[in-house]
Amino acid sequence: MNWYVKRTGQALFTLWAVASLAFFLTRQMPGDQVATYVDQVIQNNPEQDPEIVRSNIVEQLMIDPNAPFHEAYIAYFGELLSGNLGWSIEAQKNLNTLMAETVPWTLFVMALATFGLFGISLALGAIMAYKEGSLFDLSNTLLGMVTTSIPYYVAGILLIIYIGYPEGVFTQYFPVRYKLPDGVDPGFTLAFISGAIRHATLPALSYVITAYGLLALSMRGNSIQVLGEDYVRVAQLRGLPDRRIALRYVGRNAVLPLYTSLLLSIGFMLGASVILEQIFVYQGVGYWMDRAVQYTDIPLMMAIFLMITVSVVIATYIADLTYGYLDPRIKSGDEGEAY
Amino acid sequence: MSTHNTTNESGEMYSASETIIELRNTEVVFDMSRGVSRVLDNVDLDIRRGEILGVVGESGSGKSMLASAMLDAVVDPGILSGQITYYPDDGDPVNVLGLSDEELRRLRWEDISMVFQGAMSSFNPTMSVKGHFVETLEAHEYDREEGMERAHELLSDLYLDPERVLESYPHELSGGMRQRALIALSVVLEPDLLVMDEPTAALDLLMQRSILSLLEGLKEKYDLTMVFITHDLPLVAELANRMAVMYAFELVEKGSTDEILQNAAHPYTRALLNSTPNLDAPLSEMTSIEGSAPDPVNVPEGCSYHPRCPLADEQCVAEAPDFHDVSSSHQVECFHWEDAAEAIPFNIEQPSSPEEGEAR
Ligand SMILES: Nc1ncnc2c1ncn2[C@@H]1O[C@H](COP(=O)(O)OP(=O)(O)OP(=O)(O)O)[C@@H](O)[C@H]1O
Ligand code: SF4
Ligand SMILES: [Mg+2]
Repeated sequence: MNWYVKRTGQALFTLWAVASLAFFLTRQMPGDQVATYVDQVIQNNPEQDPEIVRSNIVEQLMIDPNAPFHEAYIAYFGELLSGNLGWSIEAQKNLNTLMAETVPWTLFVMALATFGLFGISLALGAIMAYKEGSLFDLSNTLLGMVTTSIPYYVAGILLIIYIGYPEGVFTQYFPVRYKLPDGVDPGFTLAFISGAIRHATLPALSYVITAYGLLALSMRGNSIQVLGEDYVRVAQLRGLPDRRIALRYVGRNAVLPLYTSLLLSIGFMLGASVILEQIFVYQGVGYWMDRAVQYTDIPLMMAIFLMITVSVVIATYIADLTYGYLDPRIKSGDEGEAY
Repeated sequence: MSTHNTTNESGEMYSASETIIELRNTEVVFDMSRGVSRVLDNVDLDIRRGEILGVVGESGSGKSMLASAMLDAVVDPGILSGQITYYPDDGDPVNVLGLSDEELRRLRWEDISMVFQGAMSSFNPTMSVKGHFVETLEAHEYDREEGMERAHELLSDLYLDPERVLESYPHELSGGMRQRALIALSVVLEPDLLVMDEPTAALDLLMQRSILSLLEGLKEKYDLTMVFITHDLPLVAELANRMAVMYAFELVEKGSTDEILQNAAHPYTRALLNSTPNLDAPLSEMTSIEGSAPDPVNVPEGCSYHPRCPLADEQCVAEAPDFHDVSSSHQVECFHWEDAAEAIPFNIEQPSSPEEGEAR
């Protein structure tokens, strides 16, 4: 129980630290941001009155640049805690709405990529270990090393060129841009679900094919080590079926050390989404992050920053809790951690 | 049972019903880059139904290879050859090395079972002890309920709390508990022969003692034949009816425990008895065996013990000795066995029987 309290405390602390950091960075931003925003709005809509625009923007900003430090800090956290993320100048939208429209899509691509990545890498790594030294093992080791050294955005562009451009079967099934096919509305319909999956496939695949190699090779190494353990030999002599030994003995024990990689890959994938969502014109969090940076939309940046942190913290938290179920040596005490 | 019996490995007055497993010309070789490594060399051994046979020898002498050979479980890429015959209680003799994969899978654990050296790591760390019992019963299509009842009984026979141990994960048990749980797991399918490779190596003296007495009880209750492998000669002397001594991948002497302790006929066995730590003996009287254990790729010509043997002469260097009968129940592989007692006197009185050995 103690352990859960400690973990929850750590998660909350991380959230608070990141939110504060976002606050400090914003306060430190050089130049008069409000004036810049007003200029932007006026440029787009020349007929508006600059003074009204200015007062609107100041009202929407959660951080008052003229207020004393502690007052601004308290006001900012007050807004956050009441569930208000603010207003995006670039998107001209309430940030709560914008995040609700984008975060699920990015998480969806990431989930697809994560399951694909782990499914492929773990199975492949284990098979390579069983066939250690065979042609299959050697060629996959080589292939894994080559694909790992390709940057994911290069893979994304290659996928577009070779799957997206040639007219044919692939193009029709795996579109290279947008989140959904034309005319399909979100809802619990087959068209929506299959459309969402098909549109997310190529962005996810760009990540999977450039990341599976490293993970498969770690799995291979771990499996080879576990295959040499006494308990595997004893299990074989006890006459257990090979399938059970592969899954319950080798697989289970070889996967445990890879939990760290799972956590790292979540953070890395969020970073990758900034570029991948540009390439595939996929309007998720990464897509808007790029816009925010380009047009210095600080409220948008902060909102995305917070959402990413929340996602990582939650993922870590879940991984941590489930690790205890995978490895009984962790559950009984807190002498070990997943990462 | 074994002492008045006059069977011997060379085959006179030989009766199959009293032998449970018979090894002939058993060899294990590894093809290594340095040359052929013969890590079990021409071993002949009969194990009798209901006995406890102790196998002793220094580290690297091939004891674990001998144990694995009995289950045809030598690790890859070792090659096992020779003739190994298992005589079931009822039914025809089984040629162990000629079995199909499925027959071998059934023979192991159901008829011949083994406790491994390094028992501490014989359990899957991510599975409860109970899981190990259940999967074993299922893999051999035994009745699960009946089998688990037997597991409970075995664990309590070994002075463990069955409920607690079964619910535990391996890391939650102490070394001694894990060792006893492993012994229970090894006999849960009711085998006839249990081969134990250094089952007490990682335990403290007190735990070793208590496991020995538990094993004796287990043997009586479940009608087991046991092979107990160890480098600890005094330990096995307390338990075993008969002993076999290994040196350089061969058996060099075998006989009843009494005869080996009183009247060891091989110079190596005598040196081993003199070198074993003995609480009664003053430190100054303890000697270690000079020289080092031979390399399996390059075993000395002739008698493999000759570089270390005080009795060695030209004959020993030129040819390998055969077994000589010291008595009908005691054989030794040495040309000069009759002179061994005089040349290598015991530095202390050996206890006259295993029971008196308790004091040590
Ligand atoms: N996988 C292997 N490949 C090649 N040689 C091996 C292998 N395993 C063991 N050996 C060799 O076989 C010989 C006998 O080994 P074994 O394990 O039977 O010794 P042991 O008597 O059980 O020793 P210990 O008391 O240390 O357990 C040793 O010389 C060892 O080097
Ligand atoms: S045969 Fe010779 S060398 Fe070998 S043990 Fe006997 S006396 Fe020693
Ligand atoms: Mg050994």
